Parts: sequence; structure tokens; C-alpha cells
Amino acid sequence: MADPLHQFVINPLVPINVAGLDLSFTQSSLWMMITVAAAYGLVMLGTKHAALIPGRLQSVVELAYEFIAGLIKDNAGREGMRYFPAIFTLFMFILFGNMLGLVPMAFTFTSHIIVTFAMAITVFVLITALGFAIHGAHFAHFFVPAGAPKAMIPLLVPIEIISYCVRPISLSVRLFVNMMAGHMMLKVFAGFVTALGIFGFAPLAVTVALLGFEVVVAFLQAYIFTVLTCIYLHDAIHMH
Amino acid sequence: MQRLLRSMITSLPALVLAAPVFAQATDEVHETSAGLPQLDPSSFPSQIFWLAVSFLLLFWLFKTKALPRVGEVLESRQDRIAADLDRATKLREEAEAALVRYQKVVADAQGKASGQIAATRERLIAENTARQAELDADLAAKVEAAEQRIQAARDAALAELHNVAVEVAQAATQRLIGREVPRAAAEAALAAVTKEAA
Repeated sequence: MADPLHQFVINPLVPINVAGLDLSFTQSSLWMMITVAAAYGLVMLGTKHAALIPGRLQSVVELAYEFIAGLIKDNAGREGMRYFPAIFTLFMFILFGNMLGLVPMAFTFTSHIIVTFAMAITVFVLITALGFAIHGAHFAHFFVPAGAPKAMIPLLVPIEIISYCVRPISLSVRLFVNMMAGHMMLKVFAGFVTALGIFGFAPLAVTVALLGFEVVVAFLQAYIFTVLTCIYLHDAIHMH
Repeated sequence: MQRLLRSMITSLPALVLAAPVFAQATDEVHETSAGLPQLDPSSFPSQIFWLAVSFLLLFWLFKTKALPRVGEVLESRQDRIAADLDRATKLREEAEAALVRYQKVVADAQGKASGQIAATRERLIAENTARQAELDADLAAKVEAAEQRIQAARDAALAELHNVAVEVAQAATQRLIGREVPRAAAEAALAAVTKEAA
């Protein structure tokens, strides 16, 4: 049986080396580019014949637009709409990365912790910077729970700070582990299909069910990442 | 804290699912010395670099090209709906104004018609009254003329009767005494008798 981890190995397509740093264009980079092209292509194609009464593709694009707009308004408030392009890009990038990763032979770049962590830490740093930019030093009060007894503050503040700093880790690990686990399960069960011969239909059925499940997970994880980003944004804009 | 807990719980099933594979992966570390490809730091710079490139590219494409187009479409639809609503409101207002005008016209016509009816009735009543008065006057004149004629006839008849009585008295006196009484004496005698009778 093939190694279920083999699918996650990064293969360079065009080796690039800049000042001793390996920046090779890999299959991961290729699928990032395909994601960019697909996400951008969908939106552009959907708005090509901008009709008053939208067709199917235009409906999909408008639905995505209003879905994210609603997400931001609900979770981060109206002020969060300033960051709509960034949040929309984040959602579409992760969603298309997850979905395209389910295409056979494709590579899922969101199944790499370094990619999800880079996104999560960027979100975390930018949002924390935004919090300090809006509230100044007062943003530090975010770590002091409102109405807590004075005696408890030395205990509560470290807890709050730790829970705040764990955010990028939980955000990135959740996405990475979900993607990796799903793809490994698929690989393992798909391996059983050929190994079991005529009885291979049973793992095949499981694989089909898993693939449907993975489509849901692919959407859900993109949604969760985006929602949590919006909630963190809310904390930065409004504090509590 | 609650959010963190929730996020932990969300990722728990995936961790449980992946547990056997993690175990397998740690086994393989000894066999192939590769381990999880995700934990191979040699690919990190390339992945981070291309992630930044592709994400920023998509962000730039969306921000400058794609999203304004979608926003434009949604906005134009919103504008169109608002314009349609405005037009509907204006049309309703116009219809209401027309209704008011129509009611005014109907009320005017009714007022005018009832005015005309009243005028006509008054005119007819006046005409009738005038005709009645004319008729009354006519009749009164006729009655008076007739009364005068009757009076004249009576006077004439009375005068005739007086003459006849005088002549009868003269004739009777002549037949009785054979003497013609002068008319004046007869008249005086008659007057005396008439006076006595009265």
C-alpha cells in the first residue's frame, strides 16, 4: 500500500534559489496559483455579463460576496466592512485551496501547517496591531476581564494573554489537521480498494462517502477560519 | 476562553481521526527518516514565499478589479429597486391627486346641477305665480264687469218698473175716475206709497 503521507511531500517544479534561500516553485506553489486563477476567474466570469437578474454563475459570485459581507457585519460590526477585501480574499483562498485539493492528483496546500500558520499568524499580528492602532495603549485593558475582582487580576491577566496568544495556533492547527486527516483517510481507504480485489467495493463506498464529507469539511474549515478572523477583528475594533 | 474551548472542540474529531496516522508517521520516522512532510523545514521558505505571492496577488486582483465589479452590480440593482420604488410612490401620488381632482369635478357638477334645478324650479314657480296673478286679475275684472252689467240691468229694470208703475197708476186712475192724472202727480203718489211700504 502506498504511503498515505507521500501525498504531502513537496516536489519542486522549478528550482529557484535566492541568496541561499530555497524559494523553488513547487507543486504547492502551482496549486496556490491555480487557486488564485480559479477564485479570480469565478468572480470575473460571474460578473462578465453583469445582469440585473443574475444568472447561475453571477448568483454564486453575489452569494459569496453577500455571505462574507454578512459574516463581517454580524461578527465584526459595520466598521469591519473596511477590511472586506482582505476577509473575502482569505475566505476564497482557503475555500478554493481546500476544494481544489479534493480533485484527484491535486495538492492541498492548506494541509501544510506552515501555510496555515503563516496565514493565522499574519491575521493575528495584523489584528493585534489594528487593536493597538485604534485603542492605543488602552487595548492592553482587553486582557483585564471586566468586573473581575481586583485580587483575581494577577491570575486572570496571564490566562487571558495566553488564551489570546494561542489563537493563531488553534486557528492554524484546526485547518491543517482537518485537511491532512481527511486526505489521509481518503488515501488509506482508496488503498484498500485495490488491495481487497472484489471486496474493494466496501472501502470504495467509504471513500465516496468520505469525499462528500470532505467537501463539507473543506467549506466548513474555510468558514471557521473566516468567522474566527471576524471575531478577532471584532475584539480589536470594539474590545469585548 | 469560551471561543478557544469551542475551537479546541471543533478540531478534536479531526485529531482523533488522525491519531492512528500520527502513530504511523512516528513509526516511519525511524524507517525512512522523513517523518511528516509538513514538518520538513527545508520547504518552509518556498511555501511561505509563494503563499505571500499568491495571496497578495489574489488580494490585489480582488480589491482592484473583481470586488468593485460585484459591488457595482449589487449597487446598481439596489439603485434600480430604489428607483422603481420611487416611481411607484410617485405614480400612487399622481393617482391619488387624480382621484381628488375627479371627486372635485363630480362634486362641482353635482353642485352646478342642483343649482340649476333650484333655479329652474324657482323660475317655474315665479312664472306660475305670475300667470296665476294675471288670471286672477283677469277674472276679477270680468267679475266686476259682469257685476256692473247686472247692476245696470237691475237699475234699468227698476227704472222700467217705476215707469210701468207710474203708467199703470195713470191708466188705472183714468179708467176709475176718467180723469187723466198728470205724470208728476202719479210719480209723487207712487213715491209716497213706496215710502209707506218701506
